[in-house]
Amino acid sequence: MTRKGFLKWLIAGFGALSLAGVLYPIARFLKPPASVAGAIGQVTKVGDVASFPAGQLTPVVVNGQPAAVQNVGGKIAVYSLICTHLGCVVGISGDTFKCPCHGSDFSATGTVTHGPATLPLPTYHSQVQNGSVLVGPVDLSNAKYPAWYVGEFAG
Amino acid sequence: MSTTTQGRAPEPAPAPAAEKKGLVNWVIGRLGLNATMEDQYNRIVPKHATNYIYCFGGIAFVLFVILAITGILLAAYYQPTPDTAYQSVLNISTHVQFGWWIRSIHRWSAGGMVLLVFIHTLRVFFTGAYKAPRELNWLTGVLLFLITLGFGFTGYLLPWDQKAYWATKVGTDIAGSVPVLGHFLLVTLRGGEQISAATLGRFFDLHVLVLPAIIVALLLGHFWMIRRHGISGRL
Repeated sequence: MTRKGFLKWLIAGFGALSLAGVLYPIARFLKPPASVAGAIGQVTKVGDVASFPAGQLTPVVVNGQPAAVQNVGGKIAVYSLICTHLGCVVGISGDTFKCPCHGSDFSATGTVTHGPATLPLPTYHSQVQNGSVLVGPVDLSNAKYPAWYVGEFAG
Repeated sequence: MSTTTQGRAPEPAPAPAAEKKGLVNWVIGRLGLNATMEDQYNRIVPKHATNYIYCFGGIAFVLFVILAITGILLAAYYQPTPDTAYQSVLNISTHVQFGWWIRSIHRWSAGGMVLLVFIHTLRVFFTGAYKAPRELNWLTGVLLFLITLGFGFTGYLLPWDQKAYWATKVGTDIAGSVPVLGHFLLVTLRGGEQISAATLGRFFDLHVLVLPAIIVALLLGHFWMIRRHGISGRL
């Protein structure tokens, strides 16, 4: 291989690499995010009732978002784990919620017991069918949730 | 030079002496643009113009190309209605993969293009490059500068947040203060007396359809003229 030929290939190679470096993010950008692709009317099976111990909160993922399943004597409730203050992921502490970012606490029913958050954690529509827990859309009917918070679930 | 003789089929035109290889050269040859391209390749940049201050127009054009590409991509997710505009921009920035990247490039290139078109205009002014025979190129340049500002003004409303709303309110109020024509300009820009869904629709229309068509036409004229005139002489 001549020196000139080698340099030609080198330049073409770097050119192709640069092009790939631009085209790859563009291709990824054009692929719709998963939660947008199938958000409407989507029901997620998060597990069997038996896999959620009574009196506890068990973390699960619903539509790519963190949530927790609560089992109180066979009665299932699913809470979002996105803090209503600034959107951090809330931690589970026993049967209550504790946000590590700014110290908001939420009771076992999702209500605020300690600020700075002012709005309760929203629940997901859920039901038990044939022993499995099915989770539907999040309930954001409380009009006080700000646009950015609603956007967290919009995908 | 025709060499046709009676009773014989005309000979094919002689092939160009040395046809260059490669697909690009083949296309150029078939379009009959050999001489034109040869002329373009052989332009010599005058020594006084091998200076960074002569680069601003070119950089502004590169930014325009980047803005066109990222803008087309953003339009794949953006929704120009008051109910969904802000949410769709938020979606681009927080959920779409590389969305924050594409949107940031668009945003920063937009600011950069305004700056560079302005500096390029200053360079042309202070080197006297607007003088005869280049007056028409100066005029297209002034229009290009105004179109660039128009892109900035219309694009600013699209995220539909508080800053966008009030910037547009103030901007269109200024248009409304023009004597005689003011009220006409204001309602034409806003699509009504108040800023509304119609305003967002019109600004989106201007930003992605009207202004791009105008700027491409003006850029072609701008570049064609710089090729006709060549780079202006030294000071």
